[in-house]
Amino acid sequence: MEGIDDIEHIASDHDQLISVISKLDKTQHIIEPTRNEPTNINSEFNLIKKSNKSILKNVSNILSDTASHVEITKKLLKSQEESKVLSKPLEKPQVERIKRATGYLETKKKVGRWDPIVARSRTVDQVFFPLKKAENRLQPTQAFISKLKTKSELERELEAVDPPDIVQEDDEEEQVYPMSYEEMVEHRQHLAKIRAQESYRAAKAKRQSKIKSKKYHRILKKDRLKQQLKEFEELQKSNPEEALKKLEALEKSRALERHTLRHKNTGKWAKNKMIRAKYDKEARQEIAEQLAVSRSLTQKTQDPDSSDDDAEDNVVIPDIALAQDPMNPWMLKQNNKSNVDAEFDFGYKKYLKGKMFKHKEDSGSEDEAEKNNDTTKACSDAGLNTLKNKIEKIFNNKNESAQIDKNIEEDNSTEQNQSDLNQPIQNNSNITKNKIVETEQKQKENKMKKNKETLNNNKKSLKTKLVATSYWTVEPVENKDKKYTEGVGGAFDNLERNISKQVNMKLDIFRRKLRKLEQLTASKSKKKSKRIGNSESYIPENNLEYLKLATQNKKAIIDEQLLETTSKTIPTEETISDDIMSRAMLHNKIPAEEPTNSNIDPSKFIEVKPKFLNSEISRQETELDVLDDEQVVPKVNIEEVFEEDDVVASFRQEKEDEANKDKPEDINLTLPGWGAWGGKGVKAPKRKRNRFITKFAPKTPRRDENKGDVIIKEYKDLKLDAHKVKELPYPFNSVKEFEASLRAPLGNTFIPETAHRKLTRPNVVTMAGAIIEPMDEDELLQKKNRTFKSSNVIQFINKDG
Amino acid sequence: MKVPRQKNQNNPAHKNVKSEQENTNESQKKKVKRYFELDKPDSKTDTKTDEVKVYNVKVTPRILWNQKQKDQKRQFLKNEYGNTFSQRKQKKKYPGKAPIDPKRLEKHSRGEGLQGIGVRNPIHKLKLQKKEKLYQKALEQAARSEILLTEDQGYVELEDEDSNTRAINQQIIARNIDIAAATKIFELNLDFGPYRAKYSRNGRYLLLGSKKGHLASFDWVTKKLNFEINVMESIHDISWLHIETMVAAAQKDWLYIYDNTGTELHCVKTISKVLKMEFLPYHFLLASVNEYGFLSWLDISIGEIAGECNSRAGRPKAMTHNPYNATLCLGDSKGVVSLWAPTVKEPLAKILCHKTPVSAISVDNRGLYMATSGVDRSIKIWDIRNLDGPLQHYKVWSPPVDLDFSQKDMLAVGFNETVEIYSNCCTQTVSKPYLRHKMAKTVNNFKFCPFEDVLGIGTDRGFTSIIVPGSGEPNFDALESNPFQTKKQRKEAEVKALLEKIPAELITLNPFEVTEVDVPTMKDIIDSKKKLLHVKPKKVDMTPRRKNKGQTHIARKKIIKDAARRDHIEKLKAASALYEKDEQKEKPVRKQSFGVLDRFVSNPTKSKK
Repeated sequence: MEGIDDIEHIASDHDQLISVISKLDKTQHIIEPTRNEPTNINSEFNLIKKSNKSILKNVSNILSDTASHVEITKKLLKSQEESKVLSKPLEKPQVERIKRATGYLETKKKVGRWDPIVARSRTVDQVFFPLKKAENRLQPTQAFISKLKTKSELERELEAVDPPDIVQEDDEEEQVYPMSYEEMVEHRQHLAKIRAQESYRAAKAKRQSKIKSKKYHRILKKDRLKQQLKEFEELQKSNPEEALKKLEALEKSRALERHTLRHKNTGKWAKNKMIRAKYDKEARQEIAEQLAVSRSLTQKTQDPDSSDDDAEDNVVIPDIALAQDPMNPWMLKQNNKSNVDAEFDFGYKKYLKGKMFKHKEDSGSEDEAEKNNDTTKACSDAGLNTLKNKIEKIFNNKNESAQIDKNIEEDNSTEQNQSDLNQPIQNNSNITKNKIVETEQKQKENKMKKNKETLNNNKKSLKTKLVATSYWTVEPVENKDKKYTEGVGGAFDNLERNISKQVNMKLDIFRRKLRKLEQLTASKSKKKSKRIGNSESYIPENNLEYLKLATQNKKAIIDEQLLETTSKTIPTEETISDDIMSRAMLHNKIPAEEPTNSNIDPSKFIEVKPKFLNSEISRQETELDVLDDEQVVPKVNIEEVFEEDDVVASFRQEKEDEANKDKPEDINLTLPGWGAWGGKGVKAPKRKRNRFITKFAPKTPRRDENKGDVIIKEYKDLKLDAHKVKELPYPFNSVKEFEASLRAPLGNTFIPETAHRKLTRPNVVTMAGAIIEPMDEDELLQKKNRTFKSSNVIQFINKDG
Repeated sequence: MKVPRQKNQNNPAHKNVKSEQENTNESQKKKVKRYFELDKPDSKTDTKTDEVKVYNVKVTPRILWNQKQKDQKRQFLKNEYGNTFSQRKQKKKYPGKAPIDPKRLEKHSRGEGLQGIGVRNPIHKLKLQKKEKLYQKALEQAARSEILLTEDQGYVELEDEDSNTRAINQQIIARNIDIAAATKIFELNLDFGPYRAKYSRNGRYLLLGSKKGHLASFDWVTKKLNFEINVMESIHDISWLHIETMVAAAQKDWLYIYDNTGTELHCVKTISKVLKMEFLPYHFLLASVNEYGFLSWLDISIGEIAGECNSRAGRPKAMTHNPYNATLCLGDSKGVVSLWAPTVKEPLAKILCHKTPVSAISVDNRGLYMATSGVDRSIKIWDIRNLDGPLQHYKVWSPPVDLDFSQKDMLAVGFNETVEIYSNCCTQTVSKPYLRHKMAKTVNNFKFCPFEDVLGIGTDRGFTSIIVPGSGEPNFDALESNPFQTKKQRKEAEVKALLEKIPAELITLNPFEVTEVDVPTMKDIIDSKKKLLHVKPKKVDMTPRRKNKGQTHIARKKIIKDAARRDHIEKLKAASALYEKDEQKEKPVRKQSFGVLDRFVSNPTKSKK
């Protein structure tokens, strides 16, 4: 044991020594891994890569020295030769690469089995799903019966002992439903009704929210206001605390309004408007409205609890002089247009005021002065506020009267109140009415002055009246308008007037003439009745007569010509042959001339010889022939009579024109006299002609080029082109092939029914209700799939991915 | 036995190749010699192999290759199966369906099919090829189903060969046919002036309209009257609409539409003073031309005018429509026939047919031939499909009043009081009529009844119906027009026809133009794509499937020209020979001239006189 310890000690010492020595030499040494503990797993990295072959040789060399060991050495060497040393395992990446490669090949082979199936299913006309057809053949009777078994005796006995649980189907069926069927139906109907109503309401709300009409919204607001007022009243009766809360909320909103700068004249918009207000009436109005809104919002509601002094302070004394100033927007309180935002508050205020009256009346201890005050206040309000406000006030008054009904004692005072209230309104309205009358009178005067004031202008003025904020302002503005119209529209008016005058003049002249004519005709008819031969009265009729006669005359002329011209008879068979001969003689020179003309005119050579048909000879002609014997009646060759030589010439001309129409003309850029003598009759040299006259390439020959007296129009029919295919669809890249694919009809009126069905059957057919399962490997065994051999398609599919 | 034969067959071919090669060598030196100009080598081979017929085939490498392949295959099969293979092939017990006559196939053919060259994607290519097979099957089936056309065309058979068919009048015909058919010969004597008659599309109903306002429609087979009214206005033309319950009449001022009870359905005031009317059944267009030459197409399915234009040809003389492409043919007083489509304001084509006013036009059912007649007492047959010169030019004794083609291309020509029917007069030049019918009434118009061998003639004193054996199509397509249509079928057919209505824009000279690709526009699109950066335009083969068939082949024309010239020269020779004969007769008299002393020479001819 000691020895071992010593050895270990020495070894460690030795190691230390070596390490120290190696440290002296400053180069780094890779230390050979040493195995400290025996392990089962040998790391390949720890193996010492030294071949043991050399060692063996060394050993053998040593052994070969002694003769006795020769045998052993030989054996050793032999065994060395014979023994197969396991080759070094490949490195991991290499191994994996090989694995991957082989794996790929394997899977490729495996997946490749499906290639023909995929290719076939892609190219097949019709695919039927599910792929596996259920066996629908009937089983033979024996086979079917063999499956049925009667119960054995043991089974029967067992059943008798322990009967199988009877499934309680009845219990399941008798489920307890919360409702009967009728109830359920009813319930559902009810729900449906509710839903429908809801949807109607939603639709209505949506529709209403989309309405842009201001008038409509105004009316809506008014309605809402009334509703709220009513509610508020009721609330006051039923729950005064709530009402108070509402009032407080109102007060709060007022405070907020006072706090903010909304509806003031300090905003950017207001400033802009103010700049414009000088010239623009509408801008002025808008600013006035805005200010009115702010004022109404910030006006303190007169709390019944607050002191009278405050109320007195708040009393606005109407400054009539200011209010009447049309140019002062700040004083424009009377606006017809109510501000939309402020309306609710307005209404409340009015209500509150009414409330105040009521309160005082209720209190019973009322001063005449106070009453007066109130009335004056009311008066002022009435005088200043708009027409709508008046209406509202009336509404208030009504309220009052409702209250008054309770207190019969103070009837008189209230009546007075009412009268007091009503009077200023009436006054006001009276004033306005007067004004209207005045303006109308003025207008009438204007009309009297200016004879032709157009109706349109009047209408415009009326419109402006309606738009204007007050009647006082109407006049000057309208005057301005009139000036404008006089300035610009006047010119038009004048023009119109002139034209109308001229037209009228002319019309007058015509009328006069007409009258004269009527008179004349009347007189003529009279004269006619008296004297028939009156020349003057017969002029038009004579004209007609003359025309008629002319046509008749012409006909007569034709007849004469008919008689004069022809001496030819209808060609008989003898004359036909003669004709041919004579024609042959006539054409004698033509063939000699033709070869020089390279352009072939078929009309010159493909003349179909007329064949004389053995047709019926009309009776008239035979009659004529009969006549012939006795007297010489000049026979007319009708074709010669109707024939027009220029028909052919004009047709050919037409054809030429048609052909020349779309021929591009040569562009001549020669400058006559440039670098050479110019003048009349001097032709440009050939070199110049070649250089400066650009000739277009001849167009493709026309269809009618070699066709004689036929004109075929060459045109592009845009309407038809809309129906034509302009781009080739996908699989085609040849026009010819695409057109070929379209050539055959598919309809059953064109081809036999069976063929039609085959050509139009669907690509994919699925059986209704059947589960479509993915393909399984049975498909590989099917013959149709195995025999599919279209290497092109398979290759393409493989390449595609 | 077979091996030596093959060798025999092969040998001459090889020899021919050799000779060809020699020829090519020669051609370098001399002129090019064609195969038919070779004499010597052929004669040699002929002498060697008397038993085997030798055809001279211009041998190309392809043919050689094919031959080689065949030989190899044959050899292979022989090695595999021995001689049994060929025997087995002969001994096929069930040979399958009967072969189809290639002519019939050709008749039903829709032209060249898909080659599969212009489709790059093999999947689509295979699909299209499959479809192509289906087309081929459909074609075969169509050809096979001709067996269902059981009825034969009528004809006239004479006992003695020499006599003419034109001598056969209606009485003789009536005597020789069955009683039911004989009822189709009848006459209606009506009092209201010249009548126009038109048959409905299925040939069951007849519409009569007279100049004096008499309008009647009836089932002419059972003689059951639908309605009979007098419109108290002149009727210039009448027309059936798409079904027999609607009728259009061009009256004095406006166009009226009546139903089958004579109730006025519409008065179309947008179309006035109509002279001629035609109904285009597939487009639902009622085409009309008025006194002033205004053409208008009324779409009767929606009641709108589909097209209007002024023909600028004055009062129309004749009008008809081409059933092939639905264009209107309008004949004017200058002898020009112009073709019109509703969407084009100018004539699609103009043909100068006669130098005198055109009196009648008719186009045959297939749209191949057009017959025109002029006041110049001539009838011309034109190739209307190619718009080419007169195929036939006939001269007659009096100007024809009306022309009409039957379904089987018989041409009826109406003269003053006679109607003559010419059969097969378009492709051949005929000299005498097939039938002739004389009447004591003047002919106004006439129409062949579809699917019947009947010609209805509207005359000045009523209507005459005559039998023309073989004029009508014996087999009808019930899906197309059914003479035995029931009310329900009619209703269904109407709906179907409306669904299949062809828009008016598609009326062009070439009815297949819609199926063609708009190549110029496509080119423009491709060119514009080429200009874009980084966009690779598709390579497209632009050659269209159909060549312009309308274009005349100059080579063909040259041949005709040469033939004409040769003919002409021969005639000239004959004429000159005749002339020379005459001259020779005169010449000896002239030759012996003695100048001033001629007076002393005794003249035998004169002395004779």
